[in-house]
Amino acid sequence: MLTVKNITKMYDKLKAVDNLSFEVNDGEIFGLLGENGAGKTTTFRIIMGLIDANSGSVLLNGKKIDYELTDKIGFVTEERSLLTKLTVKEQIEFYGTLKSMSKEDIDKKLDYWLERFEISSYKNRKIKELSKGNQQKIQFISAIINEPTLLILDEPFTGLDPINVKLIKDAIFELKEKGCSIIFSSHQMEYIEDFCEKLVILVKGKAILEGNLKDIKESFAKKNILIKGEDIDFDEIKKIKGVISVDKVKGEYEVKIENKDIAAKVFSKIKNKNITKYDVVEPTLNEIFIEKVGGIHE
Amino acid sequence: MNKKFWYLTKISLNKKIKSKWFIVTNIIIFIAIVALMNISSIIEFFGGDFENSTHVLIVDNTDSSYDLFKNNLEVFNEEIDITVEESNESIDALKDNLEDEELIVILNSDPSKYIVAEVISNNKIDNITYQFIVQALNNTKTTIGMMASNIDPNILQAIEANVEVERTILNEELTSDENADLIMSSVFPTLILPFFMLIIFLVQMVGGEICEEKTTRSMEIIISNVSPKTHLMSKILASNLFVIIQALLLILYSIIALMISKYLGNSIFDISSSISTIVDTLKTSGMFAKLGLIIPITIILIIASFVAYSLVAGILASMTVNIEDFNQLQSPIMLISLAGYYLSIMASMFDGSIFIRILSYIPFLSVFISPTLFVIGQVTLIDLLISVAVLIVFIVLLLKYGLKVYKVGILNYSSNKIWSKFFKAFKSKEN
Repeated sequence: MLTVKNITKMYDKLKAVDNLSFEVNDGEIFGLLGENGAGKTTTFRIIMGLIDANSGSVLLNGKKIDYELTDKIGFVTEERSLLTKLTVKEQIEFYGTLKSMSKEDIDKKLDYWLERFEISSYKNRKIKELSKGNQQKIQFISAIINEPTLLILDEPFTGLDPINVKLIKDAIFELKEKGCSIIFSSHQMEYIEDFCEKLVILVKGKAILEGNLKDIKESFAKKNILIKGEDIDFDEIKKIKGVISVDKVKGEYEVKIENKDIAAKVFSKIKNKNITKYDVVEPTLNEIFIEKVGGIHE
Repeated sequence: MNKKFWYLTKISLNKKIKSKWFIVTNIIIFIAIVALMNISSIIEFFGGDFENSTHVLIVDNTDSSYDLFKNNLEVFNEEIDITVEESNESIDALKDNLEDEELIVILNSDPSKYIVAEVISNNKIDNITYQFIVQALNNTKTTIGMMASNIDPNILQAIEANVEVERTILNEELTSDENADLIMSSVFPTLILPFFMLIIFLVQMVGGEICEEKTTRSMEIIISNVSPKTHLMSKILASNLFVIIQALLLILYSIIALMISKYLGNSIFDISSSISTIVDTLKTSGMFAKLGLIIPITIILIIASFVAYSLVAGILASMTVNIEDFNQLQSPIMLISLAGYYLSIMASMFDGSIFIRILSYIPFLSVFISPTLFVIGQVTLIDLLISVAVLIVFIVLLLKYGLKVYKVGILNYSSNKIWSKFFKAFKSKEN
């Protein structure tokens, strides 16, 4: 289990991370969200021991992270961190040995993952000769070759097509099942919704929203109503107090409302019409993110 | 030192030694050294000749100078291949039939200047041959002038003979006499040049590798597994080992080239005989006996300087964002080492000045200046030891403060306020 407790990092007068705390249990995927410059990279660097926090602590299974413990941590950086002049085998051997793995163990696991990601034929190819998507797969393999107990994924799907996204997703779920604690960061909220049970949203280094994804959505007042039907006067619906907007999305109407009580008022307006769909749904994480982060900027 | 340190060192060294550029460069260097040391054989092989025989036709209008001039010119036969013949043909006839390897020297009497001469050739003649002809003419003139003054031939011989000098230096700390200085001041710059080149290699290698790891962002992964100190030290050790291997290879290539030169029997560029001359001079100057002490101290100074140069290169590279920035930032180091190189070449001109003595203690410069000054006898063994001590203190300070900069620098990807970040890291209390 990873425990991040009250960490603060200052760069001169700028608070890059402000009293941040969270826990990631074994076999849990935790989302760390924030716009650019929110303090995600600084948080990752503190967890990895690359930089020291001004205050607070980071513990992995109750121990302070040192160079022995980092042997069991995997890190996929936002930008590719590969030595492109090396071959795939050399690159993975390089990072694997730095994780105190034996050459035989690295080769065995490398063969498994190359096979799994359908790139076995690239084992002796130079990384610079690979496509961006395949480079990203190598980057991912280099982070998990040591079977980490903590895996940090910063935009792991960059440059991947949907088929390869699925391959990596499956691998992430497999690691989760094996008990690996995973911290996941991405600007694509649908990935966060797919993966994360818990999350924290950072704005200017400070956690403005944290908890279980389900609870966050439920506690978020604004809801959406999806309506499909005939002879519905949406101009009338727009006039209802508490209705924020009405938009046509993929052949149906999406009515955004300020709280769930408004849903009844909307329903009473259309109940005598020919309705084929009326569904009150939670807002997307993307909407919550924009609402929360945008609100701070206003 | 842990396993990861040795692994990083091995990887870094292998990357340099197994690169195709290292192999190609060494093949070129080897060929260049062998060619340079056997240039006369190569020129002869392609039909040229360093030992072109020059035929001098003398028209002696003084009727008494031919033999004297001939003797004076033939003295130089060890250095140049020259044949001398008196000619009775007219100047015009000689000019008409003059070959390219022939010269006409016309000797004329002059009441006040004793002898004047005219030298005629089809083309320019090589500088050395011309200088020898002029010297032979001057010697002939001196002899004729003395004979005209009725000076006894024995007295004349005594006047012309070199003065016998017995040289005694009372200061026992001085390591060489003037003859050794003369030889070493010309030999030393040649010895230092490869060393200067190795320093340039070193700075670029350490900086280039750190820049590459930074720009590819692999630095974050590496530094999360080993400390910045271990990382920097592995780069420094690998680069220094590489430079030492390269230096040993250069020595090996020189020995092979020397053996080839000896086998081919080169005479004009007879390097082995030049080395023997230098060794003999060192022996007679008494310096040879002290080499057992000087060589280890100089080697320590060289290795410590390599470490200092690579440390600074690594620290500077950590502050840069790309290789272009590093190339700019390393230019002051290059200029300093260049200054050291030129100062060492010109060291004998300073003749014991306090200024050059102080420079010989300064790290980066000391490696060039200090041994040179010692060899030409301008500083003592104590000064050499002071240079080593100052350098070691400098390295300790670099490790203490430079590592703080390195730790911050390697994770910095912005060139904004770079010097401000540098000084803040420098002053920080973190280790």
